[in-house]
Amino acid sequence: MKKILYSAFYSFNEIKNSKIFYSFLIFALILISGSYFVSQTSFIDQGRIMVDFSIFAISIFNIFIGIFIGSSIIYDDIEKKSIFLNLTKPIKRSYYLGGRILGLILAIIMSTFIMTIIFYAVLLIMRKYVSPVYFGGMSLEIMPQSIFVQSFFIIIESSFIAIIAILFSLITSKALASIFTIIILFIGEVSSRLNALVKPIKIISDGKLIIENHASPVTIFIVHLLYTVLPNFSIFNISAETSYKISIPSDIIFYRFIYGLSYSGLLFIIALVIFNKKDIT
Amino acid sequence: MIEINNITKYFRVGFLGTKKNAVDKLSLFINEGEVTGFFGPNGAGKSTTIKMIVGLIKPSSGNIKINGYNALDYKSRNRLGFLPENPAFSRGLKGIDIIKYYSKILNIKNGNSDTERVLNMTGIYYARNTQIHKYSKGMTQRLALAAALLGDPDILIFDEPLSGLDPIGRKEFKDIILHLKEKKKTIFFSSHILADSKELCDRIAVLVNGKLLKNDSLPSLEKEANNFYEKIDDSAALEYKNPLENYLYSLMINNNNNK
Repeated sequence: MKKILYSAFYSFNEIKNSKIFYSFLIFALILISGSYFVSQTSFIDQGRIMVDFSIFAISIFNIFIGIFIGSSIIYDDIEKKSIFLNLTKPIKRSYYLGGRILGLILAIIMSTFIMTIIFYAVLLIMRKYVSPVYFGGMSLEIMPQSIFVQSFFIIIESSFIAIIAILFSLITSKALASIFTIIILFIGEVSSRLNALVKPIKIISDGKLIIENHASPVTIFIVHLLYTVLPNFSIFNISAETSYKISIPSDIIFYRFIYGLSYSGLLFIIALVIFNKKDIT
Repeated sequence: MIEINNITKYFRVGFLGTKKNAVDKLSLFINEGEVTGFFGPNGAGKSTTIKMIVGLIKPSSGNIKINGYNALDYKSRNRLGFLPENPAFSRGLKGIDIIKYYSKILNIKNGNSDTERVLNMTGIYYARNTQIHKYSKGMTQRLALAAALLGDPDILIFDEPLSGLDPIGRKEFKDIILHLKEKKKTIFFSSHILADSKELCDRIAVLVNGKLLKNDSLPSLEKEANNFYEKIDDSAALEYKNPLENYLYSLMINNNNNK
C-alpha cells in the first residue's frame, strides 16, 4: 500500500509543477478576485453575483484540471515512454494507476483549497456572505456552510471526471479522451432535467386521471438509458443553495459523496482491467 | 536466471487486423553472471523481446521466467534493473526526486547512500538538483542508468544502451557495463552495433525477423567466424575488418526479409 502513496506523491509533485495546472489555477484566481467587478454590473444582490461567479470559476477550472490533466497523465507517460522505468520496478500496475489517480485528486484538492481561500479573502474584504461566529471572547468571520459543502462537491465531481478522462485516455487518444469526457460531463449535467421533461404528465379530465406521454417511446427510452447509465453530475451543483445560504443536510452530503465514490470506484476497476491488459509498446 | 520458453508475440496490423509476428517461437536461456548480447537489425524484435522480459508486453504464447517468477508478476522485478532505449522522465521534477522515488518503490533500506552511489557511478551526481527537462540526452541516459542500478540488482537488462551517445559517453557506458561484468551481474543487452559484441559479451544471441538464429558463447562464435572468414575469397569486399563482426553481419543480411 505504501507504494500507492509514493506513486501518488510523485504524481502530485509532477502535476503541481506542470504549466497547465498553474495556468488553470492562476486564471481561476484572477476570476475569483475579479468577481467584485462583475458584481458591480448589478444594482441588486451583488453578494449573490459574487458567490455565483466565484463558485462557477472554482468549479469550471477544477473540472478543466480533471479533464485535461486526467486525459494526459497516463497517456503522455505511455507516449513519452516515461512509464517504462516506472512499470519495470517491482510495482503492480494497479498501484501505479491508483497512485496516478490519487496524485491528481490531491492536486484537485490543493487547487480547490487555494481557490476557496482566495474566495474567502475576497468575501472578507467585501464583507459579503460572511457572518461572525463567537468562540468565547473571540469572533471569527466565516462563510455559510453551503460554500464549504459546494467546495467539497467540486472536489468529488472533478475527481470523478478525472477518472473518466483517464479511463478514456487508456483506450483512445488524448484529444478524443478530452472530447468524450466533456460530452459525458454535458450529458451528466442535463440528464436529470431531460428525464424530468420526458416523464408522462398526469392530467385530470372529467374527473378521470389521464397519463399522457408527450414524447415518443424511442426518445423516452434513450433519455432513461442516459439518465440511468451515465453519471448524474447535477447533484454536485448546489449553487442555488449556496447563493441563498441554505444549509445542506448531512444525509444529502453523505449520499452524494457515496454516489461519487462508488461510481468512481467502478470506473477505476474498469480502467484497471483495461490497463492490466494493455501492452506498453 | 532468465528462461524464455517458446514465446511468440504478434501484433495486429492494418484495417483488417492481420496478425504479424514480431517474435516467433523464441527460446533463450540467459545464464547467471554472464553478459549476453542480443544482436539483430532494426525491426528484428529485440525491443519487443526485452519488453516481454520486463513485463511491459504480454507474450501471445509461451512464457518467461525470471528467478522462478513469471515475468508478468511484479515480484519477478525485485532484483532486476532495466534501462530502456531513449529513456524519458516526467517533467517538472529534479533528478534527485526521481531517484529517491524509485529508491522508495524498491524499498531500499539505506536509500540515501544508495542514491548517492548510483548517481556517482553514472556520473550525474553534479546535476541531481537540476530539473529533468533541462537534461541533455546523455544526462537523461545516465539518470535512467542510475535508476536501473538502484538497489544493486542481480539482473540488468539494457535496451540499446549505447545508442545516441557521443564517443565519450559510449566509452563511459561501456566501462560501467564492464565494471558490472566484473561484479558477476547477469547482463542482457540489445544492440545493432556489432562492434559492441567482442568487447562486452560472454555470449551472443542473434535475432532476425523475430527468429533466433544463433545463441552461442563468444569463443564458439569466434571459431565459427574464423572458419567462415577463411572460406571467403580475399578479393571479396567485406563490410567489417573483424571476422566476428563480419560473420554476424552476414548472418543478419542473409536472413533478413525486411532488407
